[in-house]
Amino acid sequence: MYQSFIGLEIHIHLAAETKAFCGCKANFGDEENTNVCPVCMGFPGVLPTLNEKAIQMSYVVARALNCKLSPNTKFERKNYFYPDMPKNYQISQFAEPVGRDGYIDIEIGDSIKRVRIHDVHFEEDAGKMIHAGDMSLLDYNRAGYPLLEIVTEPDLVIGEDAEAFLKSFQRLVRYLGVCDGNMEEGSMRCDANVSINPVGVGLGEKVEIKNLNSSRFVRKALNYEIERQSGLMDNGTKIIQETRLWNENRDQTEGMRKKEDANDYRYFPEPDLPPFRPSDEFMKEVEEGICELPLVRKQRLMTSYGLGSDQAEYIHDEKFMADFFEKAVFLGADAVQVYSWLSSDVKKLLNRNSQSLEDSNLSAERLARLISMIEDGQISGKIAKRVLDHIFDEDKDPDVICDEQGLVQISDPAAIAKFVDEVMAANEAVVEAVRGGDQRQMGFLVGQIMKVSGGKAAPAVVQSVLKEKVLG
Amino acid sequence: MEKSDLTVTATLASLVLDEAETQKLGDEVSRMLSYFEKMSEIDVDGLEPTTHALQKENRLRPDRGLSNEAQPDELLECAPDLEDRFILIPNVL
Ligand SMILES: [Zn+2]
Repeated sequence: MYQSFIGLEIHIHLAAETKAFCGCKANFGDEENTNVCPVCMGFPGVLPTLNEKAIQMSYVVARALNCKLSPNTKFERKNYFYPDMPKNYQISQFAEPVGRDGYIDIEIGDSIKRVRIHDVHFEEDAGKMIHAGDMSLLDYNRAGYPLLEIVTEPDLVIGEDAEAFLKSFQRLVRYLGVCDGNMEEGSMRCDANVSINPVGVGLGEKVEIKNLNSSRFVRKALNYEIERQSGLMDNGTKIIQETRLWNENRDQTEGMRKKEDANDYRYFPEPDLPPFRPSDEFMKEVEEGICELPLVRKQRLMTSYGLGSDQAEYIHDEKFMADFFEKAVFLGADAVQVYSWLSSDVKKLLNRNSQSLEDSNLSAERLARLISMIEDGQISGKIAKRVLDHIFDEDKDPDVICDEQGLVQISDPAAIAKFVDEVMAANEAVVEAVRGGDQRQMGFLVGQIMKVSGGKAAPAVVQSVLKEKVLG
Repeated sequence: MEKSDLTVTATLASLVLDEAETQKLGDEVSRMLSYFEKMSEIDVDGLEPTTHALQKENRLRPDRGLSNEAQPDELLECAPDLEDRFILIPNVL
């Protein structure tokens, strides 16, 4: 039996307007080499200057990950020769990163696991290269993007843990508003490392896996790699420390061509950037940048509103929805009702319109009002769904829609008696059958009455009036 | 300094040195290293390393776009070869 140890290195693009050390726009997908300047193109004699918002977001993330925050964070040059970086080095952090020795609690299945964070450091992204035949094409729009790397300790065990971690982490950065967490577009990237050993022996030879551009690939690649290493160990073959690439077409990891020399990045202090010492005011703003974190929020949704674990899971997934939910409940709507609407009819309409809740015409006020109209018997649940449709399409309040469409429920017994009489007259045989003891036919009559009323009759009133008239 | 150290350092810096250059640089670098040895004899326990002699304050930039005197197109003109707006280089994969 072997024990496996998984660690992750996650890179996130910080959601700043401009690059880390120059005033170029940090925009994804612009025309090639348009967001470039002498600084990020590595021209001689330029001076990089630290982006205040980007370093602040870095401290916010480190703080949210319970790291020890550096009072004096420093920048280093990581030297390497590859044309994705025109300077021949990347500005990164080594000796004194923004934060270190943190942790995050995540939910894996039904249990909560604490994953230690080794460090959180600030750096710049490299440019994009496209390899075409015997030529390579370079686009430096991404060179110098503000990037934050989060390195975990090898506290995860199997691929599923890593996948759960990434989902939690993605949610965390979205809650904090520091990154959109989109792995497909590369604004969040993940490399993984894994080693195995017989139980009790501790960490083994570490194998790194790259080219993991979705959390699903992370899971599959890690489980494949654990399997592969176990096979080697079974045979007594030595596992070598190496970097492997995930091949998503073949569902396997593959060794990279071996580099002759081990990487030696010759880190040294970046002479052009002074250390950054956060002021008290800066740290106050960092504190203000922290919100209630997803797991805490989920637990509170369960204890304060009586939601089940799955219900709270759904509501807390996006911060906007969790805020929306709480606001609707605060306005008087029943928590489970709000959950039901959000997870069924609202979700359906959002999917149909390919919209997010945030972009839709539904507000917490409108949903709360809709729910209260049902509870007051003003409209039926069925009509409420039609009203919801109109809210989405017409951007109007539910009361206005009901007025305009005449969608108010009829609960006046005298008005309903007219529908009942009409239906009884048209179905004399059925009425006789019911009087003869066939109760099942009552449902048919109720359905007919609802139909005649255009769906507006209050079902409870229909039931009682009908019973009165048929059975006396 | 060991010759192998110099060769490794040269490789890391992407420098190709012939025998004469290796000899000449070897001597120079050894002399430089001896200065560093002298410096490392000094007791600096408890002193904060000085990475920047003149800069004591934070130097930050607000997160706002800046227009540069040098336009992207002018910068691209410095590249040896272009394809549309891409810089074109021999394949280095
Ligand atoms: Zn720039």
